[in-house]
Amino acid sequence: MTGELLAVSGVSKQFLGLRAVDNITLSVQKGEIVSIIGPNGAGKTTFFNLLSGQLAPTEGEVRLRGQQINRLAPHARAQLGMGRTFQIAKPLIALSTLENVMIGAFMRHRALATARDKAMGVLEKVGLAHHASRRAGDLTLSERRRLEVARALALEPEIVLLDEVMAGLNQSEVGQVIELLQGLHAGGQTFLIIEHNLKVVRAFSKRVVVLDRGRMIGEGTADQILSSPEVIKAYLGEGHQWTQS
Amino acid sequence: MPKKWDSVNNINKPNIERAAVSTGTPTVLSGIETGQQALLKFLGGMALAFLPFVLFVQDPYWLNIIAFTYLMGGLAAAWNIIGGFAGQFSLGHGVFFAIGAYVTARLYTLFDLSPWLTMLPAAIFAALLAVLISWPTFRLRGPFFAIATLAFNEVAFVIANHFDSLTGGPRGILIPFKASFGNMIFKERWQYALLMFVFVALVIGITVILRRSRLGYYLLAVREDEDAARAVGINVLGVKLQGMALSAALTSIGGTLFAMYLRYIDPPTLFTLPEVGVKFALLSLIGGIGTIAGPLLGAALIIPFENVLRAELANWLPGMNLAILGLLMVLAALFMKRGVVGAWGDLLLKLRRKGGAKE
Repeated sequence: MTGELLAVSGVSKQFLGLRAVDNITLSVQKGEIVSIIGPNGAGKTTFFNLLSGQLAPTEGEVRLRGQQINRLAPHARAQLGMGRTFQIAKPLIALSTLENVMIGAFMRHRALATARDKAMGVLEKVGLAHHASRRAGDLTLSERRRLEVARALALEPEIVLLDEVMAGLNQSEVGQVIELLQGLHAGGQTFLIIEHNLKVVRAFSKRVVVLDRGRMIGEGTADQILSSPEVIKAYLGEGHQWTQS
Repeated sequence: MPKKWDSVNNINKPNIERAAVSTGTPTVLSGIETGQQALLKFLGGMALAFLPFVLFVQDPYWLNIIAFTYLMGGLAAAWNIIGGFAGQFSLGHGVFFAIGAYVTARLYTLFDLSPWLTMLPAAIFAALLAVLISWPTFRLRGPFFAIATLAFNEVAFVIANHFDSLTGGPRGILIPFKASFGNMIFKERWQYALLMFVFVALVIGITVILRRSRLGYYLLAVREDEDAARAVGINVLGVKLQGMALSAALTSIGGTLFAMYLRYIDPPTLFTLPEVGVKFALLSLIGGIGTIAGPLLGAALIIPFENVLRAELANWLPGMNLAILGLLMVLAALFMKRGVVGAWGDLLLKLRRKGGAKE
C-alpha cells in the first residue's frame, strides 16, 4: 500500500509581477494525509489549482501516479484519480443531494442504477444518507461541505484535495469533519488538505507543510511546525509565541 | 393562536420522534424514479396529450392548431435539451430547423426523393453544423452565447435569401401537392396531426431516456456549475457539443415535418425569430425550462391561445393578439419563474405542508 502518488517538483506560478507559488517541491505517498497551512495570501489555493488543473504552472512539474500532468485539463486529472473540493462549496443546487454525488459516481459507473447505489454508499459514509432526496441548495454550510467531500469520493479517487473544508464551521462541526476524515484515512484514502487553522491540522495530519508568500517555509510533524520560529513569525510576527497549544 | 404554539411545543418533543421524521422511509430516500415509474409517467402524459386529437378528429380547424401544437411542443422539447438541461440559451435553433426544411424540400422537388429518406441525413447534417458553429461559441457564457447564436440565425437568413439555386431565395420553395405516404404529403388533416404527435412523442421519449442517462446528468451538472463539473471528470465542452448535436438533429426533423405540412417555405417563415428561434425558448420557459413536460405544456398553452386570439381579434384591432400575448409572457416571467411545471410543484408542496400541519 505504499508508493508515491503525487510528486511536485520545483513548481512555480508567476502572475505578472507576483510570484504566487515559488519553487515548491512536495511528495505525497499512498495512504498519507498531508496538510498545507499558511496565512492568508500564502498561495495555498493557487498551489491547489496548479495541482487540479485550473492553472498551469510557469515552471516545474506535477506528476500523478508517475504521469506528468502539467498541461492536463481538470476533467482528465479527475479521470486519472484526483478528486477535489472547493474552498467555496459548489453544490449543484437544483439537484438532490444524491444526484450531486451520482454525478461523481457516473465517472466510473455508466449505468444509472450502479451510480445511484455507489453514490448512496458514499452518502452513508459521510453521514448524509438521510438527506439524499433533499435539494442540495437547501443544505446547511456544514452539510454542503460534506457533500463536496462525498462528490469527490464518488470518483473513487487515488487522492483527494480538500480546500479548507472546515472554514466557517463551528467547533462541534469541525470535530465531526475531523472524525470523518480520520475514518476515511483509516480506510486507506489519501488526502492533501489546505487548512488555515494550525490546531485543527494537528488532530489528524502527521505531515504538515507551511507556505508563506508562495514559498515553502517548513515541513514536519504538527508539533515541529508549531515550534518552528519561522512559522511563528509568519503567523504571529516577530518576537511572539503561541499562548496555548 | 393555538397553531403557532403547537409548532413551538413540537420542538420540545423527544428527539427520537424528530429523528424518525427526518430519516424518512427508505423508498423516498433515493428520490429517483425507477425506470418503470418513468415509463408509466411518459405513457400517461402521452395519452393525455393525445386526447385533444381524439376529441377534435372531425374538426379541421382545430386539427390544424393541434398539429402545430404537437410540432412546436416537439421543437421546444428538442431545444430544451441544450437550452434547459445544459443551460445554453441558444436563440439560433432556427438554423437547424431551416436545414431540415430546405434539405428535404429541395431534394424532394429536384429529385423526387422521399422526405422519409432525406430526413435523417438532413438531421445529421444539422448536428454536424451545430458542432461546427458551437465549438467556438461555447466558450462564451450566458447572454454572450445567446447573442452569438442570434447572429448565426441572422447570417443564415441572409445566406438563404442569397443562394437562389439552393433555397429558392426570397421566392422560396413550393412543394406540389402529390398525396402519398412516401411523399409525406397527406389528404387529411388528421394524418398530419398524427405525424406531429409521433414527432413530439419521439422527442419527449428521447428526453425521458436522456434525463436518466449519464449524458443527461452531465448536461445538468454543466448547467449548474462548470468548475464543479470539471472536478468530477466531466469534459464540459464535449458534453455541451453532444447535447447541442442531439438538440439540433431533432430540431431539423421538426423542420422537415414543418416543410412537408406547409408545402411552402421561404426565409421569413423559417428564420423569423419570434416565430421560430425565440419561440422554442419561450414555450419552454412558459411551460418549465429544464423539465420533461414543460416544453409541450408551454406549447399546449400558447399555440392554441395564439391562434384563437389572432382569429378573434384580427378584425377588431389588428396586432392586439400580440399585445395580449406579450402581456401574458411578462406576467409569466414575473410570477412563474420556473414555468407551469415549477408553479405546479410549488402548489403541491404547499398543499402537502398544509396537510402535514393539520396532523
